Amino acid sequence: MTKQSRLARATLLTAAIATVAALSACGGSNDGNSAANGGGGGGEGKVTLRLFSNLPDRKSGQGLAEQTVIDNYVKENPNVKIDVETLAEEPFKNKLKAYMSSNEPIDITMVHGGAELNTLVQAGYVKELDPKQYEGEQYNFLPGVYKSFTFDGKLYGLPRNSDYEVIYYNKKLFEDNGVKVPTTFAELLDAAKAFRDKGIAPMSINGKDLWSFGEMFQNVVQRYSGDQNLILDAVDKKKKFTEDENFLKAAQFLQQVRDAKMFQDSFMTADYGASQNLFTQGKAAMWYMGSWEAGMATNESLPEEFRQNLGVVQFPIAEDGKGKIDDLLAWNGGGYALVSSSKHPEEAKKFFDYLMSANQWAKTAWDTGAAVPAQKYELTGKESEVQKKLTDILVNASSTAGASFIDYGTPKYKDDTQNAFGKFFSSSAKPEQLLADLQAAADTQ
Amino acid sequence: MHRVFQNKTAIFLFVFPGMLLFALTFLAPIVLSGYYSFTETVGPGTKVTMVGWENYANLLFHDPKFWLALRNAVLLGIGFIVIQHPICIFFAVLLDRIGGKAEKVFRTIFFIPCVISVVVISKMWLSLLDPTFGLLNKVLDVLGLDMLKHAWLGESSTALGSMLFILIWAGFGWGLLFYYAGVKGIPEDLYEAASLDGASGLKLHLRITVPLLSPVIAVQVTLAMITALKQMETVFLTTNGGPGDSTQFLAVYLYNKAFSASQYGYANAISILFVIVCLIATYLSNRFIRSDATEY
Repeated sequence: MTKQSRLARATLLTAAIATVAALSACGGSNDGNSAANGGGGGGEGKVTLRLFSNLPDRKSGQGLAEQTVIDNYVKENPNVKIDVETLAEEPFKNKLKAYMSSNEPIDITMVHGGAELNTLVQAGYVKELDPKQYEGEQYNFLPGVYKSFTFDGKLYGLPRNSDYEVIYYNKKLFEDNGVKVPTTFAELLDAAKAFRDKGIAPMSINGKDLWSFGEMFQNVVQRYSGDQNLILDAVDKKKKFTEDENFLKAAQFLQQVRDAKMFQDSFMTADYGASQNLFTQGKAAMWYMGSWEAGMATNESLPEEFRQNLGVVQFPIAEDGKGKIDDLLAWNGGGYALVSSSKHPEEAKKFFDYLMSANQWAKTAWDTGAAVPAQKYELTGKESEVQKKLTDILVNASSTAGASFIDYGTPKYKDDTQNAFGKFFSSSAKPEQLLADLQAAADTQ
Repeated sequence: MHRVFQNKTAIFLFVFPGMLLFALTFLAPIVLSGYYSFTETVGPGTKVTMVGWENYANLLFHDPKFWLALRNAVLLGIGFIVIQHPICIFFAVLLDRIGGKAEKVFRTIFFIPCVISVVVISKMWLSLLDPTFGLLNKVLDVLGLDMLKHAWLGESSTALGSMLFILIWAGFGWGLLFYYAGVKGIPEDLYEAASLDGASGLKLHLRITVPLLSPVIAVQVTLAMITALKQMETVFLTTNGGPGDSTQFLAVYLYNKAFSASQYGYANAISILFVIVCLIATYLSNRFIRSDATEY
């Protein structure tokens, strides 16, 4: 009997110890993995860099451009291997925050300038860069592109694109229905009515994501005030949304847009992809989106007929406003940053500099028609019509905004502001109510 | 072996790993969450400022969205209990009465929505309810009921109703399964005895089936309340709380506060209240619906 119980006790003890050991091993194994990853770097001069990106599609558009630069670098530097991890936009943002909180040793990450990057900066997760190093021919950045990447006068990332809001439109739908491509607000409303009468959605927008409403409001405010900084000053609380009459005019115009049923019927449940599909399938006459969609013109997976009829035009002007058609709502949203907890800071910096060189990302993105870079680029003569028009719009811009106002405050400010627009467009709220909500968001950020 | 189970060390060793796991994965996060709910921070790793009860005060007294989200969750819970469950019981009885092959076929059909992934269900309903291409509006068109057409999930007036409908539809199979198992457990001779005494039809089921199902109903009501409070995925994937705030639910609101608005402290305060609300709901539904085990 005693023998048996001793045996049982021994078994139990072993089992318990094994369990605890297994549990603790779970916790430790992560360190083991990353050490192994890192160890590869030290020994024989073989280095593995980790890049985290928001471009999961590596076969077309910006994802292809990014991958091309990576492949170029690896070819020139056979001792370096680059592991790319990609996620779609929203999950990407969330996982980056998770990485930030666990101080994950990735080397280079895609970042969104403004509010998102600000959080990473506060956590000390991204490295400060020396702007002097990126002056001159090798990088050729356009003036003023660091605005969303600079905090307290310090630079924390480099922009990869020139982002600006335009209206993509379907030439065929406009011609067939005898509608004029709008250059003024009145014409825009007329177009909405004309297309509505024909049962066509005048303009597609990604209402579920909410941010496009914010861009449109900023566009409209500028068209009335002629001042790119007015709305940014309001975010900084130097002006008030509820006091300047340009804001009121802009909100009243948005009310007209809402009442004219400018957007597709399902606009409040449409995410980015859904709003794009509606437009690329010829079911909506216009799509309010940014220059980063230049690649639509060369994207083989879209219908041939659509690509031939794709046009792009600046946001219209207000008849009684001070803004000019060449004033551009342009900023630099997406970019790259170096991560502080990198295991190979020197190699990471080398690749980062290579990636941001004017003859790498900027050239590749432009040549493949994926995006309009934030650096000087040369026309090759093979550009699509859309690319040429987008270049014209950018080159002829008489002023640029420098920042998107929803990204100009804290993340909370962005969330509150976006929700204010969501509320406004999905109800019959008055313009004054919208402005009060916007002011409240600015006051409580 | 018997002595092993009386040995305190042995008991401890047996229970310890489980308790440790529970402590690490359940208690620790809740305690941490409790700590963060008294702070203001934009995310882990950044500056943490203690703000005391401020988050809770704001939440309870200055945040209509929180109450709206809670109201919607309670509405969903009531919808489950008042609409979904009676239908479930009705169909469970029907299934039981049909018998034979048909019973198995229908049982499978009714359970299909529970097997499909939430993502698929969400996307499917988004298409069905789409104002332009959606099946529902097309059907209304054909029937000449144009005036009833809506952007179902995209209009504030119809979004919540549509959302409740989708959720009630999606959860129908589970409810049915439980009640069906309950109905199957009621001995046939009880029905025979009752019908000999002259009970029939609706009366038979109201007097025999429903009372005998009361233990199942008690469990189901509790589960329904918790499911309603925890609702997240379908809302997140279809409307994300919109349009405006018309389909705001607690879990979605919490998620957006933490990950979109980067108000981690505030989101943690929501999550603590969320836990408390869930506990209260469980307690109340257990309290009011005593499930006395029935013996046949």
